[in-house]
Amino acid sequence: MTLPIILIALFGLLLAGVPVAFALGGLGLGMLIAGGFSPLMAPQAILSTLDGFILLAVPLFLLMSNVLLKGGVGKDLFAAVQAWVGHWPGGLAVATIISCGLFAAISGSSVATAATIGTVAIPEMIQRGYDRPFVYGLLAAGGTLGILIPPSIPMIVYGFVTEQSVISLFLAGIGPGLVLVTLFVLFAMAHAKFTGSYQAVDKASRSERLNASIRALPSVGLALLVIVGLYSGAFTPTEAAAIGFAAALFITVVVLRTLSWQGFKEAVMESAITTVAILLIVAGAKVFGKAIALYRIPQDISALITNAIDGPGMFILVVACVLLIMGLVFEALSMILIMTPVLLPAAMGLGFDPIWFGIFMVIMVEVALITPPVGLNLYVIQSVARATLGDVARGVWPFLILMLVTVGVLYALPDLALYIPFKW
Amino acid sequence: MTFMTTLSRVAGLIGAVLLALTGAMLTYEVVARYFFVKPTIWAAELSQLCLIWGCMLAMGHVLAIRRHITVNAVTNLLSAPLQRVFSAGALVAVIIFCAIVAWYGFDIFYTSWERGRTTGSILNLPMWIVELSIPVGFALLGGQAVVELLRLRDADAASLGSSHE
Repeated sequence: MTLPIILIALFGLLLAGVPVAFALGGLGLGMLIAGGFSPLMAPQAILSTLDGFILLAVPLFLLMSNVLLKGGVGKDLFAAVQAWVGHWPGGLAVATIISCGLFAAISGSSVATAATIGTVAIPEMIQRGYDRPFVYGLLAAGGTLGILIPPSIPMIVYGFVTEQSVISLFLAGIGPGLVLVTLFVLFAMAHAKFTGSYQAVDKASRSERLNASIRALPSVGLALLVIVGLYSGAFTPTEAAAIGFAAALFITVVVLRTLSWQGFKEAVMESAITTVAILLIVAGAKVFGKAIALYRIPQDISALITNAIDGPGMFILVVACVLLIMGLVFEALSMILIMTPVLLPAAMGLGFDPIWFGIFMVIMVEVALITPPVGLNLYVIQSVARATLGDVARGVWPFLILMLVTVGVLYALPDLALYIPFKW
Repeated sequence: MTFMTTLSRVAGLIGAVLLALTGAMLTYEVVARYFFVKPTIWAAELSQLCLIWGCMLAMGHVLAIRRHITVNAVTNLLSAPLQRVFSAGALVAVIIFCAIVAWYGFDIFYTSWERGRTTGSILNLPMWIVELSIPVGFALLGGQAVVELLRLRDADAASLGSSHE
C-alpha cells in the first residue's frame, strides 16, 4: 500500500515544479519523519554525499570543458576534422559526427556537446544545402555521444550511487560509443549519396590540413592524456579531471591564447552553477534512497518485477519502455538517479553485470530524451538550432533506430561494453 | 530583500572559487607524487572540504538565478497566474525542507563542537568544520527561498529552475 502513495507523492511533487533535488530530499525527509526514524539522517546523507572523493570529478570535468569551450576549441576541432573529411560525400555531416565524438572525449554532457558543435556546424551545413530535419537529427544524435564517450558525468554519478568503478564505466562506454560514431557516419554518407541534398566541399590543401590539425592537436592530446592516464591507473578519475582542468588552462591561455580573463571567470561561475545543480540532486536522491531502503521499497519492487516479468529480455524491454515514458519530462541525471537504486537489485538478480547495466541505462536514457513527439533534448536542439519542433522530430527518427540497433547489439553481445575494461 | 540576494551572490562567488581551487590542489598532488615522489597529506582532504563548502555556499545563488533542475513540462501548460500558485507552493516546500535540514544540521555541528570530535584522518581536523556547512548553506538557501516567495508576484517567469543542465 505504501508503494503507490510514495510514487504518487514523488511524481506529484516533481510535476508540480518543485526542483528535483528538493522533491527527492523533501519526500525522503518526510518519509523518515513519518516512519519514526531520526530526521538527523537527512543532513547526514547530504554530508556523506558531498564527502565522496569521486564526486569531486564533476566540478573538475566541468571546469575543463568550460575552459576549452570559452577558448573556442569547438570551432578548431570542427575545422580540423572538416579539413580531412569535408570533401567526402556528406562530408560536413561526417565532420559533425566526428567532432561530436572528439568533443565528447573532453566533455561529460550531451547538451554541451550538441550546443558546442551545433553552433558551428548547423549554419555551415544549411548553407551547403543539407536537408534541415537531417541536420537537426544529426546533432541530437551526435550530442548523445557526449555522455557515452568518457568522461561522462552521468557515469560518475551512476558509479557513485551503485558503488561501481567509474574507470570501468568510462572504459565500457568506449566500445558502444565507437559503434555509434561508425553507424552515424555511414548513415550520413548514405543519406548524402541517395538524396543528393548537399553541395560538396573542395578538398582542403595539404597546408590547410596541417594548419587546422595543429590548432586542434592540443585538445585531442588532452583527451588522450585523460583516457590513457585513467586506463593505465596513473591517476584516479578525480585526479584525471584536475589534470585535465590544469592542461585545459595551459592550452587556452599559453598555447592558443584564446581564453580571456572574462572568459575564465564565466567558465568558473558556469561550472559552479552546474555542479551545485547536479550534486544537490545526487544528495537529494541519497536522502530519498535512505528512506526507501528503510521502507524496504527496492526489495518490494524487485520481488514485484521477478514475479511479473519472465526472463532478462522481457525485463530489459520493460525498463526501456519505462525510461521512454520518463524521458517525456525528466532529464538524464534525474532518470538515472531515480531508477537505478530501484532497478539495479532486480537487474543483478537476473544476472546482468552492473557495469553493463550502467552503459545500457546511459544509452537508453539518451534515446528516451530524443524520442518524438516529446523529449527533453528535442527542445534543446530546437533552441540551439532555432528550428521548429516538427523539423527536429522528423530528422531524429533514423538516428533513433540506429541507437536502438546499438542497444540490441549491446544486449546480444555484452562484450561490446565489457571487453575494454575487463578483457583487454 | 536585496541584501539577501547580494549575500547569496557573494556566497555563490566564494563557492565557485572554492570549487576551482580543488583543481589546483589536486593537480599539485599529482605533480608532487610523480615528479617530486612526495605525495601531500592535505590535498585530498582539503579539496573535499572545498567541495562541500563550495556547493553549500552556492545553493542560494543558484535558486536566485533559477538554475536548479526542475520539471517544467507540465506546469508550462498552465496559465501564468496558476504557474505562480504552483511555484509558491514549491517554494514553501523548499523553505520547510531547508528549515528542518538546517535545524538538524546545526544539531550535528553543535554536538561535534561540544565534544571536540575530529575526523581521525591524517590531518585530524575538527568534524565541525565540515558539518557547519550544512546549517550555513541551508540557512542561505532558505533565506533566498523566502525572498523569491515574496517577489514571486513581480517575477518575469514563475518557474523555479531550468529543465536541464
